[in-house]
Amino acid sequence: MNAVDITPDEILDAEPDAYSEKGGVFWYGDAGLNVRDVARAMNSVGARFITITTYELPANGGFRLEYHWDLMGNLLGFTFPLAANSVESIYDLCEAADWIEREVHEEYRIDFTGREYEPLLLREGGVCGVNLQKEVVQ
Amino acid sequence: MSYEIPMGPYHPGLEEPYKLDMICEGETVKDAKLHIGFNFRGIEHLAETRNYIQVIALMERVCGICSFIHTLTLCQAMEKLTGQTAPPRAQYIRVVMGELERLHSHVLWAGIAAKLMGFKTMFMTCFEIREKVMDVLQAISGNRVNYAMNCVGGVNRDVEDPQSILSMVDALEKEMQKTIIPIFTTSKTATSRCAGIGVLTTEKARSLGVVGPVARASGIGQDLRKEAPYAAYAEMDFDVPVVPDGDVRARLLVRALEIMESCKILRQALTKMPNGELVCQDSKFNFLKLSASTATARVEAPRGEVMYSVSWKEGSRMPSRVHVRTPTYVNMPSVRFMVQGARLADTPLIQASVDPCYSCTDR
Repeated sequence: MNAVDITPDEILDAEPDAYSEKGGVFWYGDAGLNVRDVARAMNSVGARFITITTYELPANGGFRLEYHWDLMGNLLGFTFPLAANSVESIYDLCEAADWIEREVHEEYRIDFTGREYEPLLLREGGVCGVNLQKEVVQ
Repeated sequence: MSYEIPMGPYHPGLEEPYKLDMICEGETVKDAKLHIGFNFRGIEHLAETRNYIQVIALMERVCGICSFIHTLTLCQAMEKLTGQTAPPRAQYIRVVMGELERLHSHVLWAGIAAKLMGFKTMFMTCFEIREKVMDVLQAISGNRVNYAMNCVGGVNRDVEDPQSILSMVDALEKEMQKTIIPIFTTSKTATSRCAGIGVLTTEKARSLGVVGPVARASGIGQDLRKEAPYAAYAEMDFDVPVVPDGDVRARLLVRALEIMESCKILRQALTKMPNGELVCQDSKFNFLKLSASTATARVEAPRGEVMYSVSWKEGSRMPSRVHVRTPTYVNMPSVRFMVQGARLADTPLIQASVDPCYSCTDR
């Protein structure tokens, strides 16, 4: 399924091969998805942005970002592997992502491109990434 | 000419650590900037250093008001990881504890809101009621704040005397109907301080993705207990109060009506509670045998949706990642828009109307 073209009915009545239900989340799409296309698609169906969960992959394998959206009580998930430390911001498409993106930036030193953000200063005086990233480059 | 007034980092009303820099023209607030992180504790990082039993005790400390909800969400995620289901009696006990916590949280908030309005007698009335709820929580769990009720696969303690809780529920409902709701909705003090103040429109609330009573007071009828029922909520008959006005009064009214609905849910859960085990048979599940996987759970806390994502590494005693999304974290950015155009003197009450929790935010 192309996440860009989905409608609420298509999501909720989708064929089982269009998604995989695992660990309480309906995982949609494939590795080729674009984070902004997904945000546009979710906006068009009236989904509510919940959060971004970040995982640092072992052996300097980069990061995995999981974007979670709620659609009528269903928890939808979209995964984006990051080889580098940057990803396009969805803040201009989804205001609710503002603090979430800023928090991920401070916790993992991931840059959300295309937006300006003042620090949340979760740890004032600390460098970005010090909170959760295992290997922090000073 | 505009000038900046800093409020915080120790809030004069809520005594919690955050800062609001307000850009004012005369007595009117034009814009505001929020600063958090004054007591950031790094609990998500700490969780990666605790085993599957210790992590439950740790996450209970994310919040002092809704500590039960945090362990419930964590345990539900861990139950998904291990494929366990809590027995029916445990599911009902989880509903009872969840609703008692909602009562405790909402009544506490009503008291603080009354104090900020300059209505100190109402503050005392609310805290007297809250104390009764705390007594019940203590009678069930032995604790007033961190209840240690949840475990993976069920609950640690039984509700041994449902009848005594029913009598508290009756008394609370009576007091709400007789005193608190009429005063909050009709008294001139409450109306003049709350009506039309700190408005968050439905469109803005949707755009910001706010949750819980803040969303419901802006006309958005979302509630996970209805939309994605967990524990025994699917068997409960209750309404989700929604008020479209989006002002402080609407947020006050939604919480007052939610107290009544909580009483209704408690009465059903206590009378219909089935007999049986408190923990599922497989509760001694060996986490070391768990293959690498991730699970997510969501619960409707008193302040709104809490979400936990828990990830486990194969052969590990400890989670590789515990991510917590708390309701205040998504509700607080809305304060910037609520205070725009407000009088400076109204801003403490507007901020308090979100019922912010900085223990959750600075987790």
